[in-house]
Amino acid sequence: MEISNCVNKNVAIEKINAVQPKLNAVVTMVDEADNTKEGKLSGVPVALKDNISTCGIRTTASSRILDNYVPVYDATIVKKLREAGADFVCKASMDELGMGGTNKNAYTGAVHNPYDLDRIPGGSSGGCAALVAAGCVPLAIGTDTGDSVRKPAAYCGVVGVKPTYGRISRYGIIPYASSLDHVGYFTTNVKDAALALEVLAGRDDHDMTSSYEEVKEYSKLLNGDLTNKTIGVFKTVIDEVENEELKAQFNALVSKLEEKGAKIVEVEMPKEYMELIAPVYKTIANAEATANHSNLDGIRFGMREEGQDLEEVMTNTRTKGFSSYVRARFVIGSYSLFEENQDRLFRKAQKIRRLIVQAYAKMFEECDAVLSVAAPTIAPLINESTNVRFGVSSFAEEHMQLQNFSGYPSITLPLGKVDSMPVAVNLTCKPFEEQKMFDVSSAIEECTGLKGQCLEG
Amino acid sequence: MNYFVTIGIEIHCELKTNTKMFSGAPVRFGEIANTCTSVVDLGHPGCLPCVNKEAVALAIKACTAMHCDLETLVRFDRKNYYYSDLPKGFQITQQFHPIGTNGYVEIDVDGEKKQIRIERIHMEEDTAKQFHKDTGTYIDFNRAGTPLIEIVSKPDMHSAKEAAAYVETLRKNLLYLNVSDVKMEEGSMRCDVNISLSKDKDTLGTKTEIKNLNSIANVQKAVQAEIERQSALLDAGEKVEQATRRYDEAQKTTILMRKKEGNVDYKYFPEPNIFPIQLDLDWVKSIQDNLEELPDARLARFMKDYELSEYDAGVLVSDREMADFFEEVLKSTKFAKKACNWIIGDVSAYLNKNNLSFAKVPCSSENLASLINVIEAGEISGKQGKVVFEEVMQGKDPKKVIEEKGMKQVSDDGAILAIVNSVLDANPQSIEDFKNGKDRAVGFLVGQVMKASRGQANPKRTNELIQEELKKR
Repeated sequence: MEISNCVNKNVAIEKINAVQPKLNAVVTMVDEADNTKEGKLSGVPVALKDNISTCGIRTTASSRILDNYVPVYDATIVKKLREAGADFVCKASMDELGMGGTNKNAYTGAVHNPYDLDRIPGGSSGGCAALVAAGCVPLAIGTDTGDSVRKPAAYCGVVGVKPTYGRISRYGIIPYASSLDHVGYFTTNVKDAALALEVLAGRDDHDMTSSYEEVKEYSKLLNGDLTNKTIGVFKTVIDEVENEELKAQFNALVSKLEEKGAKIVEVEMPKEYMELIAPVYKTIANAEATANHSNLDGIRFGMREEGQDLEEVMTNTRTKGFSSYVRARFVIGSYSLFEENQDRLFRKAQKIRRLIVQAYAKMFEECDAVLSVAAPTIAPLINESTNVRFGVSSFAEEHMQLQNFSGYPSITLPLGKVDSMPVAVNLTCKPFEEQKMFDVSSAIEECTGLKGQCLEG
Repeated sequence: MNYFVTIGIEIHCELKTNTKMFSGAPVRFGEIANTCTSVVDLGHPGCLPCVNKEAVALAIKACTAMHCDLETLVRFDRKNYYYSDLPKGFQITQQFHPIGTNGYVEIDVDGEKKQIRIERIHMEEDTAKQFHKDTGTYIDFNRAGTPLIEIVSKPDMHSAKEAAAYVETLRKNLLYLNVSDVKMEEGSMRCDVNISLSKDKDTLGTKTEIKNLNSIANVQKAVQAEIERQSALLDAGEKVEQATRRYDEAQKTTILMRKKEGNVDYKYFPEPNIFPIQLDLDWVKSIQDNLEELPDARLARFMKDYELSEYDAGVLVSDREMADFFEEVLKSTKFAKKACNWIIGDVSAYLNKNNLSFAKVPCSSENLASLINVIEAGEISGKQGKVVFEEVMQGKDPKKVIEEKGMKQVSDDGAILAIVNSVLDANPQSIEDFKNGKDRAVGFLVGQVMKASRGQANPKRTNELIQEELKKR
């Protein structure tokens, strides 16, 4: 790893233990023998989001229903990280089953933003974001179904990556919504992010949606030269940003990129499509989630609430095992899948998703990468943030779900601070153009000077 | 009153693959509970399905043999419902784009041929098996995830006989294709029969579904019983209730399992973890070009190549292993009809008596052929053949048996002639009778020669030599 702080398991564990009372970012500490494997991540302490299956290590997805669940197999990425020499130090808190954007909806309670403990870290991979931001670990693996890595990365001032759909195997990840789920991760700098993808990416025969596309040595090939690069500024999103300070910082960055030789163009999406992102996302995600979590029935693993017969055991277990917020999502998901509703809800959402992706792809015809702010505001206060994403919100909040719809590779990078809280930009490229994404990111990192940004724990 | 009977049949058939539909766990019958399973089949969180190519190949075979249009873009869907035998809480199936559509099979009922149309064939995974006992419900997940095809007929059958003939035709075809074990008693082939009665063929009555039929004989009996039950209801002016029923062998009637209360909404939607798979058309073609011979084709070939009657060929073909054995025997003998008689007759009887099947014939095809050959060459008599057969079924070489038992027929003229002359010398009355035109005398003399030779004289040659010698005297 590029970053030298924390590249020691014991130091990382010490730091985590020190911040845990403040951040509440951890579900389970992991204490394994040192990994003696020599590889790209030798000796690097890594935090895993608690929906990543670890054989023999409790994996709860921050849900009560899996509170006692210990997987009997490793996720493919867990094997890959072990092979590369990484040391797992903890399983990090998340919104229950990945459902949420605040990390308030975790069975172990809300996670706090290390920059301001009264604020959320974002979610659903909030525990991971907080741990990297707090300087505990240089790498944390999360998942991103609807910006669940990239939004918390923005709120916590770290680098958050969600590569192309199929780039990293999902085998062993407790799912949320399969067609939108991506493995993503957090680092404090672009070079680490490029290196981590070398380890995590690649075809996995256990995941039929994983790609055969060659995995490059992204970190070695890293090149911040912007000559002949066209960067599209996502005007539709930027226009929605109300915070002048954030806007000014964003515009300053764009000017610097132009100075560095990039050609800057403005790109737009039809507004009516942008406004449909949130409802389409919720419809598809909840529907898939309903089915994906039907296996959590108390019969074979996890929590069990007894009953008169099997049906009652299942009903009681699921009633007690899920929070009301998650149960509400299941009801909504189920509703959109009912035969009489599918045409006007689930299938319609899928159709609109395709239309949105077509329009989105068009934006990339004239540029190599699309740049926007990651979030239009700083991290909300815990007290003020709504646990529920059901309400109407500005599409500037949800625009990063475009990359979950399309599967395009996308990265969030620290931009600066507003009111002492981190703010960030998001950069997206065409499928499997991760190299280009990292290249442009390293130029952005040079402009912001925020390489390695994290708090000293 | 006579009613118009309409029958449609759904058949679930376990595919004969090494591993499960979406996991690498082995597919085996009769293993210790919960030993043939994996995290995928148990629905552990985070597991993903991987389509079994072998299963797809077998489904292609079935579709081809049943003249279906093949969907070469393979897609799967989720069928959602909660049940303790369904680990994931959904079954991966092919609701929207079945691999095969618009097919047919030809059935034969009392010599009349008829096409039964097949609406669809789709792939899916089996559920776990549950055992309800006094101490609780036990679940064996060995079956969970086993590849299945479901074959759905059009409502083209109109009698119990047709229903049974359809199931039997499918069973035979799938067996010949090596697609499935098709053992109804073990559940590797399961059939659900939908029956409705109406006044005329243009209206449809209320249907009932009979489940859990464990043999083809029971298909026929159950359908017949259900037709009679529904007829009686309608005759009495009562209504047939839409329900799922089962056949009770002891009472020879169908019994209510559960009433149907509206349709269950399975909330089908495309399986997001399996992208549509475009089949390689060359691969499909290689499967289709190398399809195993189907029973009808084999029957025709047996009749043409071996000059067997339709009856004989039909008996052989009805049991693939019997027909295979027949063809093995014919590698070592040219007497096809004789081989057929032995196999349909004595061999079958022996296997039945000893509770064996043609998969486990105790004699080699060469030995049976050799027995047929020595009989046809006149080396032993047919009667002796039956004795040798018993030994051949113990795995012995017929030639050795003949030698051991000293059965070898004497065909050497000199040796027979010597016996013939001594018999003639001892029976002057018979010579007299012969001269007086009593041909019967020859038979008596042959018998005497056979007796003197302890049955070893070739009867045909003996007869000829006696006639010649008599004329000389």
